[in-house]
Amino acid sequence: MSLWHDLNQGIIKENPVLRLMIGLCPVLAVSNSALNALGMSVAVAFVLTCSNLVIAAIRKLVPDQIRIPIFIIIISTFVTISDYIMQAFTPELYAALGVFVPLIVVNCIILGRAEAFAYRNPVLNSTLDGIGMSLGFGLALVSIGVIREMLGAGSVFGLTLFNPAAAATIMILPPGAFITIAFLMAGLNKLENKVQ
Amino acid sequence: MIKTVKLGLILMVFCVISAGLLAYVYIITQPRIVRNSSAAYDLSVKEVLPVASSGEAVRVAPRGYGGPVVLLVGVSNEKKVVGIKVLSQKETPGLGAKVVERGFLDQFIGKGANDPLEPKKDIDAITGATITSRAVCEGVRQAIRGKK
Repeated sequence: MSLWHDLNQGIIKENPVLRLMIGLCPVLAVSNSALNALGMSVAVAFVLTCSNLVIAAIRKLVPDQIRIPIFIIIISTFVTISDYIMQAFTPELYAALGVFVPLIVVNCIILGRAEAFAYRNPVLNSTLDGIGMSLGFGLALVSIGVIREMLGAGSVFGLTLFNPAAAATIMILPPGAFITIAFLMAGLNKLENKVQ
Repeated sequence: MIKTVKLGLILMVFCVISAGLLAYVYIITQPRIVRNSSAAYDLSVKEVLPVASSGEAVRVAPRGYGGPVVLLVGVSNEKKVVGIKVLSQKETPGLGAKVVERGFLDQFIGKGANDPLEPKKDIDAITGATITSRAVCEGVRQAIRGKK
């Protein structure tokens, strides 16, 4: 019961992007196409799940005063590993995500979950929390990516739906990200009010 | 005092483990990364210059709106553009980023040192991206001049 709770908490109820509103910087930057959004979600999921797992496993060895630097070392190690792996095996994706891969280090979702959850909970719960938060992040990011790419470039995952000349370019520029996020948040709040 | 040293040592242990792990991953992935980037470059050179002996592939990086627009321009021995490709760019998505589209780039093919190579004269600029269009023109001019 508690394990299930840890997993699904991050997906809707505490969705990092749409409810907690953390980690918005990469969300704004890479959600201009569905494919970029998906690639970023996968990279964040890898780092978040691994760092939650490792931090939970070593939480009793870490002195309170230096926990933040140790979290950052662990997170940046996983980010660098995923950076190398992407460069070696998926160079096209790496070229598209570019500068945003190293920036996962400072993604507040990851440090936030390390501090708020993994440091205080057992390995299994923390891993599930990492997976759940990653799913929530991915769900939000890909939804935003699909909406922006569709309205702003007339395509989804690179497949053309209608003539790009008729698309609203603003949607793939930064304001489009804010507009989309605002509508998704409003929709989610409305949905929650209904459920209650 | 002892406490501080102890904390420092713990931090050092974490750093050493992390550095060791990264060194291992680096050694495994590095050959592939180098191969990928040189393979991608060779492929680009072939794209802009189908016959290697007929000219030279010149790399130029004029300044665009969001940073350098890195271009690879194939210039024939007669100093005419035979191919052009964007290697990397950080232009605005939906506007300047259209610089990678063939419709725009193909206009440069066949141009030489005697063409003005300027938007509105012999090149149709990308709508809403004058700076980017001008940058590409500048880059192509540089490439033609740079060809030995």
